[in-house]
Amino acid sequence: MIDTPAQVESRPTAPSVPAPEVPRQPRPERHPEEGTPDPVFRVKDLSFYYGPHQALRDVSIDIGAHEITAFIGPSGCGKTTFIRCLNRMNDLIPGARVEGEIDFEGRPLYGADIRAIDIRRRIGMVFQKPNPFPKSIYDNIALTPRRNGVKKSELDGLVEESLRRASLWDEVKDKLQQSAFSLSGGQQQRLCIARAIAVRPDVILMDEPCSALDPVATFRIEELMAELKGDYTIVIVTHNMQQAARVSDRTAFFTVDVSDQGRVGVLVEIGETSNIFTSPEDQRTEDYITGRFG
Amino acid sequence: MTARRIRNAAFWSACTLAFLCVAAPALSVLISVFHQALPALGWSLLLKRTNGIGIQNAILGTLVMLLGVLILAGGVGVAAGIYLAEFATGRHERLLRFFSEILAGMPAIVIGYIGYITMVVQFHWGFSLAAAVISLSILVLPYVVKTTEVALRQVPTFLREASAGLGLDSTTTVWRILIPPALPGIVSGLIVALAISTGELAPLLFTAGFSDQNPSLALVHHQVPYLTGVIFTDLALPGARAHATSAAAGAVTLILLIILIAVGRLVSRGARRATARMTI
Ligand SMILES: Nc1ncnc2c1ncn2[C@@H]1O[C@H](COP(=O)(O)OP(=O)(O)O)[C@@H](O)[C@H]1O
Ligand SMILES: [Mg+2]
Repeated sequence: MIDTPAQVESRPTAPSVPAPEVPRQPRPERHPEEGTPDPVFRVKDLSFYYGPHQALRDVSIDIGAHEITAFIGPSGCGKTTFIRCLNRMNDLIPGARVEGEIDFEGRPLYGADIRAIDIRRRIGMVFQKPNPFPKSIYDNIALTPRRNGVKKSELDGLVEESLRRASLWDEVKDKLQQSAFSLSGGQQQRLCIARAIAVRPDVILMDEPCSALDPVATFRIEELMAELKGDYTIVIVTHNMQQAARVSDRTAFFTVDVSDQGRVGVLVEIGETSNIFTSPEDQRTEDYITGRFG
Repeated sequence: MTARRIRNAAFWSACTLAFLCVAAPALSVLISVFHQALPALGWSLLLKRTNGIGIQNAILGTLVMLLGVLILAGGVGVAAGIYLAEFATGRHERLLRFFSEILAGMPAIVIGYIGYITMVVQFHWGFSLAAAVISLSILVLPYVVKTTEVALRQVPTFLREASAGLGLDSTTTVWRILIPPALPGIVSGLIVALAISTGELAPLLFTAGFSDQNPSLALVHHQVPYLTGVIFTDLALPGARAHATSAAAGAVTLILLIILIAVGRLVSRGARRATARMTI
């Protein structure tokens, strides 16, 4: 259910401290053989074009609530393009065009009455390269809630809660007024996760969030994802198959389909992560995960 | 080996020559202006008006005009620069760029003349602050637009994406995220605009008029005295006294310019620091 814009603006903010530990929606019972019972996203026959160039063809996927869904596949197969369709970031690219349907919580994501900025408040995004604002650690987190009307008296609590959830609080609590650029790359990325959490989204999209980080920082982010999945639906793009295997519940494999019409990204299969990595249905998936391709 | 030495020597002589070509005229202007101004230099310059032996009214007039340019050309130019850098696409963008380029190539005297025909005559404003400020603003507008646009384009795209990804609207993105790191660049553009306005005569000849009285803030029907006007008119008057006053006005203009350039330096140093901080 997507609130109308007016309702979104006036949505009361939950009490800020302590962090609400209970998920907002009851966790759906999962029956692997039934696929995803209560999908947050239902994508049907999605095709995507950058001007004349088709980047994705006929992608159909369901993404379940409170799961981690991983997208893997060779570079250039459209993983970034696809994840950016899910929060309408691609609206910003001139000449880009979406065909097909994406339902978000039962309503068309690209519906005429739906504003992209309302969508992006409910579906947060973490990028490949950490991209904190050139501001203090505190302001990086507080800026968006402040603009969204969170009361001044609640901001301190919200900042602390968000930093705690991103397991960054202990490292930065004594230097909240310092520049975000004084942090290490891994800390910056967790700051960006905290910044997304502070908007109180339902979904967090992560596009190769660890590709610029060292193994230790990567491990901390993976731990964090496991903690966050109780409260958020998480979608992650990764080029690291071990990472997909470690963190995700379901894995989608994309590849590039080469034909006379050119190179276009397609979804090969999606399934339980354990199945995809042990007994994939498609030969192309098997070739990729066993390293014979890509 | 010798060929390289000769090439080297030739290169360094060319560099030295180029340096002298730039430095010598600037120095000679500075020295000759201050030398000629010497007899007139003194506190009376600041305390008396042009009907006495000072240029107080001209200094104040120039400062008032600079304030006007800052508000008008600053406001319109920064807004247009933001629009070009962040929002304009297709036909609007091309059209705005086209007009901005036409303005940039327009001779100052033509701008003054058009200002005279329209504002001074047609609108019955007479020689006035409004006519002068608008003419000067039209002259410097392209600089402000261009520097604002360039400063914004230098802000890395990842900040725009971060902002959009949080669901911040475009107004917030521009004012809270993009303008702060671009501010030093924008400000140094404004300072260049003010420096140009300080030294220009042509657009004011037809629009400002002159007055021995201190300027009022009245927009129309009141003539405005200004420094380059003193330089120009007193130089044409007979007598050593007038010539010294002319040179003194020139010296004050130069001092104002040097102050503006120094402020611009400080600001752009701040800009470099800010961008250095932003690259991780
Ligand atoms: N902004 C863009 N404009 C045009 N083509 C693009 C753009 N972004 C990506 N592409 C193209 O779309 C295809 C998929 O890219 P991308 O989604 O980035 O793949 P991945 O993230 O899987 O590496 C590539 O062929 C790429 O060149
Ligand atoms: Mg990518």
